[in-house]
Amino acid sequence: MLIDYSVVLVYLIVGVLFVAAGIVTAALIRPSRPNPRKNSTYESGEEPIGSPWIQFNNRFYIIALAFIIFDVELVMLFPWATAFKEIGWFAFWGMIVFAFILALGLAYDWAKGLLDWEKPNPQIPSLDELVITREQYLDELKKKEQTGN
Amino acid sequence: MYNAVVNELIGSLGLIKPELALLVTFVVVIIADLIFKNNKVNLGLSILGTIVSGIFLIGMSGTNTSAFANLIAVDPFSEFFKYLILISTLIVLVMSEFSEELHNRDVWMGEYYMLVLGMALGMFLLAGATNLIMIYLALETMSMSSYILSGYTKEIKRSSEASLKYVIFGSLSSGIMIYGMSILFGMTGSLDLYAIQSYLAANGFFQPAIFISGLMVIAGFAYKISAVPFHFWTPDVYEGSPITITAYLSVASKAAGFAVLVRFIKLTFFDAAGSSDESWIMMNSIPWDMVLAVLAVATMTLGNIVALWQSNVKRMLAYSSIAHAGYLLMGIVVMTNTGLMSILVYFFFYLLMNFGAFIVVMLFAHKIGSEEMDDYEGIGYQAPVLASLLTLFLVSLTGLPPTAGFIGKLVLFGAVLDSGWYWLAVIGVLNSVVSLYYYAKVVRNMWLRKVDNGKGTLKFSIQSQALVMVLGIPTLVFGLFFGPIMRWAEHSVRIFLGN
Amino acid sequence: MSGTFNILGVGILTWITFLPILGMIAILAIPSGKDEISRARSLNYFRYITLGITFIQLILTLVVYSGFNFSMPGINDASSMQFIERVTWISVTGLPMLGDLKIEYFLGIDGISMPMLLLTAIVSTLAVFASWGIKKAAKGYFAMYLLLVTGMMGVFVALDFFLFYVFWELMLLPMYFLIGIWGGPRKEYAAIKFFLYTLFGSVFMLLVMIALYFAVGSFNMFDMMDPSKFDQNSILAGFGTSWRYIAFAALFVGFAIKVPIVPFHTWLPDAHVEAPTAISVILAGVLLKMGTYGMIRIAWPMFPDAVQYFNWWIGLIGMVSIVYGALCALAQFSVGKRDLKKMIAYSSVSHMGYVMLGLAALNTEGVIGAIFQMFNHGTITAMLFMIVGVIYDRAHTRSLDDFGGMANKMPVYTAIMTIAFFAAIGLPGLSGFVSEALVFLGAFKTYPVLTVISGLGIILGAGYMLWALQKVFFGKLPERWSGPWDPTGKIYKNDDINYIELGGLVPLAIVVIYLGINPNPVIGMMTSSVNHFVELIRIGGNFAGM
Repeated sequence: MLIDYSVVLVYLIVGVLFVAAGIVTAALIRPSRPNPRKNSTYESGEEPIGSPWIQFNNRFYIIALAFIIFDVELVMLFPWATAFKEIGWFAFWGMIVFAFILALGLAYDWAKGLLDWEKPNPQIPSLDELVITREQYLDELKKKEQTGN
Repeated sequence: MYNAVVNELIGSLGLIKPELALLVTFVVVIIADLIFKNNKVNLGLSILGTIVSGIFLIGMSGTNTSAFANLIAVDPFSEFFKYLILISTLIVLVMSEFSEELHNRDVWMGEYYMLVLGMALGMFLLAGATNLIMIYLALETMSMSSYILSGYTKEIKRSSEASLKYVIFGSLSSGIMIYGMSILFGMTGSLDLYAIQSYLAANGFFQPAIFISGLMVIAGFAYKISAVPFHFWTPDVYEGSPITITAYLSVASKAAGFAVLVRFIKLTFFDAAGSSDESWIMMNSIPWDMVLAVLAVATMTLGNIVALWQSNVKRMLAYSSIAHAGYLLMGIVVMTNTGLMSILVYFFFYLLMNFGAFIVVMLFAHKIGSEEMDDYEGIGYQAPVLASLLTLFLVSLTGLPPTAGFIGKLVLFGAVLDSGWYWLAVIGVLNSVVSLYYYAKVVRNMWLRKVDNGKGTLKFSIQSQALVMVLGIPTLVFGLFFGPIMRWAEHSVRIFLGN
Repeated sequence: MSGTFNILGVGILTWITFLPILGMIAILAIPSGKDEISRARSLNYFRYITLGITFIQLILTLVVYSGFNFSMPGINDASSMQFIERVTWISVTGLPMLGDLKIEYFLGIDGISMPMLLLTAIVSTLAVFASWGIKKAAKGYFAMYLLLVTGMMGVFVALDFFLFYVFWELMLLPMYFLIGIWGGPRKEYAAIKFFLYTLFGSVFMLLVMIALYFAVGSFNMFDMMDPSKFDQNSILAGFGTSWRYIAFAALFVGFAIKVPIVPFHTWLPDAHVEAPTAISVILAGVLLKMGTYGMIRIAWPMFPDAVQYFNWWIGLIGMVSIVYGALCALAQFSVGKRDLKKMIAYSSVSHMGYVMLGLAALNTEGVIGAIFQMFNHGTITAMLFMIVGVIYDRAHTRSLDDFGGMANKMPVYTAIMTIAFFAAIGLPGLSGFVSEALVFLGAFKTYPVLTVISGLGIILGAGYMLWALQKVFFGKLPERWSGPWDPTGKIYKNDDINYIELGGLVPLAIVVIYLGINPNPVIGMMTSSVNHFVELIRIGGNFAGM
């Protein structure tokens, strides 16, 4: 019976070879002349400013999660729609219950504030707080010695 | 053409009334939480829903059929476990009310109750599942809720660590399990356990494949019941979770895991036609009993020996619950209905003892702020009632008469001896002796040290003491009058669908 | 069948067994008291309730004794047991897999348990006098004490194996607390060692009990003694099979740990030395006898074929216990702190060896000697431990180095101590002599060589006892004890032994002296049962005339 899987093995090997052949050949044949302009990050023609590693607003993550759930609901709706006419009322009420539970989930998200779009409010550190004078530093040291010890 | 299917589905709806009740409660709690934002209302609704589900369950006693075209079995075996899960849920809901851990932080209690109910729903479905996909679905429902619940007090580092470890281990083991299920499906062409059984009985099969796939699926279940070597998550998760969830995991989650383990093994690998009440005939001589025996011995021994070194009471109880899973596995090893009955009886008493011990530990932790054994010194004289009850629960966990724990062990060892597994019984009793040492450490600290130390008495609310008494008195009474429980368990096992 | 004697509709044996539980509930209900005066008052309540309950128990036991029929043998015949109470306790019928699970509440006594009942009642009552000095957490002490008494009484009257096992295990937890809370410097170690060791033996007993249940179908001890009731397919059926030998060995180990015999005796010195006086008294006086009682009641009649197989080894074990125990006691004079209590603990090991030797003899003299030795050792060792307690309470040391010349300081105490020590040696005229003589008489017929070697035990016993007597009482009084024990006069008014301690010691001394001169009251109880026992074992085990 194991011999039946020989097809799978061949498929696996050919697939790997196919991809590897493409990449290896390309790497061998192509010229390699990098310059800074070519190595910079692509940003639709604009000049990239700063590091591409920014902190994403995590609201994107929440929205993506909610999207997945409702997308799957949509996927469930399609086959239901095709067989709905023949099954009749049972299918109708079943889908109402299903949609209701998911709508309840949406209501929950809404009420708990998960759909609010909060703009990020980055705190840019100001220089005045970072730098203190020598007198201020000595004062603080004296205060710590009196209270801390 | 669809009419027959639809009629079957509509007819089956009546069979899952308890699960439907839990589902409705789940939804109602969410709505109530959004509208009222009142904790007491949430708690009340959850408890009401659980009780309604229980009433439906009582109304359905005696049913022995399968619902949704062999997706779920509704038989006395699953009914027994559903009762256990319901009682656990009720106790956990009440216990959560007393838990300062949860109320002192700003956790969202509405979602907490909802997740507990969701976990209960998953466990209900798991106890009756007879289809591979249903098993997986129910297991995941239960696991997802427990992943979140174990990390509920997320500001405590331990709690988040526990949840993360739980998720990672759990996902891995679920992955292994579904891989095993897929191989099984591929070989037999069906997801339904009954169909798999008849296929395997009728045709030959490639033995190593069935062995490996069965082992992988059992690995997934063994993870849930914390059998060695799939137990590594247990101490960390139990120690980090809020203590209500620890208690719930250690009893209800284990019960559901055992229910599905037994059902899977019995239905898939045993010949229905050839088995009698006393002994089950294994198909094609794969030595499942030796596999399970090795698992049982490893679990018992490791759980007991590592527990000896613990200084945190919660962690010690976690290892002790691993050891108890080992004792319970012995009941499956014997491959008879008597063994199954002994598992059910043991589980019932284990529920009482374990919950009692955890509730007292929780109450003590509130007052003295610690769960370390060393901080329990002299607490027997400050809180005599609760300390005596904790002593009773620990004695019962060891298995000394006249407590219910002894009866559980008696029936279990009886089943093991009756089937001729003498060496297993000897290992089991030796493990009981070892377990005495670490249970006695807590008792020693409570009573033998700092006698009459003069520190004031600790006051506990009447309700919390009453809850512990409700668990403690049956532990003593059932140790002396255990007939009804045995009869109930025996009845549940005899009418096991697929017998 | 001798009917039971009912008080208020409940049989007298149930009263004897469970009366202490009522006392325990009463004690737990009384508050400990917040200030000095109420504490002292509550303490008195606890003491007098315990004393009262144990005294009533003693009276009831004497009533049973008076109604006891000396001629009914019992042993393996349910109809000739006396004061029977038999009620179905747990009955789960109609289980297709297990059959009917039936556990009975079955109590009854015969000539073997009657002396034990008397011993327990006497020792329990008198040990309360030795507990008079307990002040710390007294409520818990007396409550646990009464629970322990219930467990002990229950073991001696139970005739259903499950019930026996429940009572057997019931007394483990109170002992753990009693040693662990009110004991000496190493109390925690001694308490957990005792608990673990004894539990280890008990679990083997549990396994054999379950195996016997499956062979016979009930937990009734008499069914288990009857070979015709065994299911022929079970592993314990048949005669002289290796499974039967293994089961007997497991049961024997379980009981032997309690006796204790060498090599399972190592828990005894620790437990005895660290326990408070009264608990040492109960431990040595009653608990050790439970081991040999279990052997006579359970192990021997159920497996006579195994007895025949192992009998010489049992005799050997007895002899080794006698000689090794005596040697260890003697060694206390040169090792460690020369602790008097430890010496007496080892002498217990030695004396219980006589019981094993008498049992191995398997003739009427031997077994009567063995059971009588159980009774005597209980009374004599109780006296010995109480005596050590008297001096420890005053001097706070038990080391032989610290004592000498006590005879002048405490004359009455010396007199009592002399009686106890001579009884332990086995001086004729005191009860110890009769039992040891009977054991030797019986054992010489069966195993002459082992008996002769065991005679060493007598000589060694005289050695260490007389040496201790001389060391403590004669010679020069050390400087530190020249003044009164208690200069303030609050606790000890005069130097000599006080009335409470005497109250515990004098009755025992009277019993010891009386039974030395006229042992018939006790021996008469046993004779017909022992005759039946010996006959049962010899015929059941197919002994070729020995």
